[in-house]
Amino acid sequence: MTTTELRREIAAVMKPEGTRKQRRACAARGARPSAGRFVRARRAFAAALIVMFVTANAGAGTKQDVQDITAMSVEDLMNMQVTSVSKRTQKVADAAAAVFVITQDDIQRSGARSIPELLRMVPGLEVARIDENKWAIGSRGFNGRFDDKLLVLIDGRSVYTPLFSGVYWDVEDVMLEDVARIEVIRGPGATLWGANAVDGVINIITKSAKDTQSGLLKTEGGDEQLTADSIRYGGKVGDAGYYRAYMKGFDWDSSTGLTGVDAADGWHQIRGGFRSDWTLSRADSLTVQGDMYHSRDGETLTIPSLSVPYSATFSNMGDYSGGNLLSRWNHNFAKSSITLQTYFDRTNYADNNLFVDHESVYDIDFQHDFHLGPSNEILWGASYRSIQDRNDGTFTVSVVPNHANYNQFSAFAQDEISLFDNRARVTIGSKFEHNDFTGFEVEPNVRFLTNVSKNQSVWAAVSRAVRTPAITEEGLQLVDAVVPPGYPPNSAGSVPLIEAVYGSHQFKSEDLLAYEIGYRVQVANTFSADVAGFYNNYTNLRSAEPGAPFADGTTAVVQPFYAENKMSGGTYGVEPFVDWKPLPYWRLFASYTYLEMNIHKNADSIDPTPDIPNGSNPKNQWYFRSSFDLPHHIGQDLSVRYVDNLPSIGIPSYYSLDAGIHWNPVPNVILAFNGQNWLDSRRLEFTPDFINTVPTVVSRTMYGSITVNFGKR
Amino acid sequence: MSIRRLVAACLICAALVIPARAQSADGSDNSEYLIKAGFTYNFAKLMDWPASAFPQPNSPIVIGVLGTDPFGGTLDQVLKGKQANGRDFEVKHLKWGMDMRDCDILFISSSESAHVDEILHSVHGLPVLTIGEMPGFAARGGIINFILEDNKVRFEVNVDAAKQANINISSRLLSLAKIVQQQPDGRR
Repeated sequence: MTTTELRREIAAVMKPEGTRKQRRACAARGARPSAGRFVRARRAFAAALIVMFVTANAGAGTKQDVQDITAMSVEDLMNMQVTSVSKRTQKVADAAAAVFVITQDDIQRSGARSIPELLRMVPGLEVARIDENKWAIGSRGFNGRFDDKLLVLIDGRSVYTPLFSGVYWDVEDVMLEDVARIEVIRGPGATLWGANAVDGVINIITKSAKDTQSGLLKTEGGDEQLTADSIRYGGKVGDAGYYRAYMKGFDWDSSTGLTGVDAADGWHQIRGGFRSDWTLSRADSLTVQGDMYHSRDGETLTIPSLSVPYSATFSNMGDYSGGNLLSRWNHNFAKSSITLQTYFDRTNYADNNLFVDHESVYDIDFQHDFHLGPSNEILWGASYRSIQDRNDGTFTVSVVPNHANYNQFSAFAQDEISLFDNRARVTIGSKFEHNDFTGFEVEPNVRFLTNVSKNQSVWAAVSRAVRTPAITEEGLQLVDAVVPPGYPPNSAGSVPLIEAVYGSHQFKSEDLLAYEIGYRVQVANTFSADVAGFYNNYTNLRSAEPGAPFADGTTAVVQPFYAENKMSGGTYGVEPFVDWKPLPYWRLFASYTYLEMNIHKNADSIDPTPDIPNGSNPKNQWYFRSSFDLPHHIGQDLSVRYVDNLPSIGIPSYYSLDAGIHWNPVPNVILAFNGQNWLDSRRLEFTPDFINTVPTVVSRTMYGSITVNFGKR
Repeated sequence: MSIRRLVAACLICAALVIPARAQSADGSDNSEYLIKAGFTYNFAKLMDWPASAFPQPNSPIVIGVLGTDPFGGTLDQVLKGKQANGRDFEVKHLKWGMDMRDCDILFISSSESAHVDEILHSVHGLPVLTIGEMPGFAARGGIINFILEDNKVRFEVNVDAAKQANINISSRLLSLAKIVQQQPDGRR
């Protein structure tokens, strides 16, 4: 399978019984890290490469394994667990993109409690915790709480809010037990649509209802996530329909800021939903799914004010609620298939001290996939999205207009051409979009892949991608600070100076030209390695240009900063990962990320922010995990990761050691105990941007869970 | 915490656990395709082909792997030097367009999903055991379809398709299989 298959998946062609067919799936700087550490990282990387090449030449799996299998009876074979590393890479072996798959095995063995925690192992991503419920997650740079270059989809539904073109990580959640896999594709052009996936796409794919046909009850508790309880039940409807329904609730305790004071950042959420998959006929399948949620997240917030002492710090609570409903129909013809997907998504955000927003999104997507002759596979589609936004602001944050409807149209087409007897493939395609802010945009890309040998492939791609303006970039008014009279830069003033950031109708799309290359190798289903490299050339990146100050009545003067597109530059990096099973009961995984960012203001920019290469993004990161299977159905996992310092926000580098153990005493019960940050390195991982939330310290945490399967069919 | 101490900590943890030279109690973890190769070997042992399938008493059982080979050499290795019912195995790697009709077992890779109907049609009525691993394969006329359930390999059997191929499946195999009905053919 190919990039085409992968793209189809990203655009959510998840057939109800889909398993195998869908396998492909298809940041600015500060102080230099000490040369010593960098050299060490290089050496570690070199060592990894050596290990990789040595084992790549080690040849096929041991004769032992292979001989033994013919001694097994059919009954024995039915009892064997499949956990080969090939699940991660085998089916994406023909994708001409930097793909990483988080498998169910990773979900179970990493001890992750949420999607952001799971993303930490992915090469090419920056994941940083701001407080108990807020995260900064980005791909290939530009990380921030409101990172706008990374698209996230859950079963084909975009969870990217058009408000600020980012993701509410404090709202999105799924039952991790019901996730089939998560595909992370770094780089542009790997998606068909879903606006603005400039630096990457995260596609969270849940299991089909057919694969969750029993009941599951899980209860978790610990010193940070105080409680989390989930229950799910699945069943059949007649002969052709499967469903599941679930509910999940959790409560996270608050943690403390750097000063040791409680930051009131607890997080409470309850959600429920369902998924149903129907086989309407031999060639038709239908999926209908939906969720509803209510989430309250706390924080300690500092907002500016016009009266003495010109800022206020207090415990704040944000309230999110909403729901979604999605349906997807797929029809297979003899040599082609079509998919029609539609969804509705509603988000209500209410924070009376900051902002209130109600957003409704209606989306309808169509896709057609067909073969033209023996070597061409054509994929094309069209989609329409309607966004209705109603908001209410405060002194600190407001958006104009208060009430608006936006329309987005997009279409794409691509041709995947098979060459040299299917040993190479070239894909030529383009996305076309029309939005209310910048009009028409075209994003062409070319991708190439060749199987240099049976188990090795090389790919390369050149793509153009565009990030269209968010609602905030057009109409935001954000008060950054109020400077009292007599203080710089208001030294000569007699009234307070309001420093505010404004969106602008002149704001253009950000532009990216990306060059990517990669290599994959798989040896004997026990070893696989993948390296992806890229060079991204950005133009028209957002800057904040100061304008002429103006009086706001007689009580204040405003120093405005307007959103304009006066930054540009290049980023490059390399992202290898290795998956190795040296013994049947021992599995090793390691990933490394190198990122170099040279983003700077253009000559005509008067943005006062200094150019700091790498910005809030680490130059080096690595992740290593060892998973053991012990007798009596016990499994043990140990992972270590390193994240380099974040130069522009003064966050130092850190190591984290996480370890856990799980036990299957009887077939349908799993007991697990995990700990994160065993070395108890107390640290901040990020300091937030735009909204002044107090970041909290990450410290050692322990938690356990009991999972019971019941009603097995 | 210096990196040296950290590395030492990791090595100690690893050292504590490694010597548990374990054997996971109920059979070790295996790669998916090693298990499927094991099944294929057992299918050959537990099924009866009509006499017409083998011209001579010592004709080998010919297994054709059509499309991108997901076994990666494992099938060849597993069957090397083995026999089923007194016959050797011969594994062939085929591409779409080549003649598949002299195979006794035809494994259709999911890379050929676009041509499945045509492939099944071309061996219809011949004593070819068709094996696939894509959703709906058995319903469309394939005899055996591998599926994964709960991280274990299972297989579906289309009994009518087996009858049409004159292949007799042992009741022991049938009792372990998921029986699938042939779906009416909507188009020619």
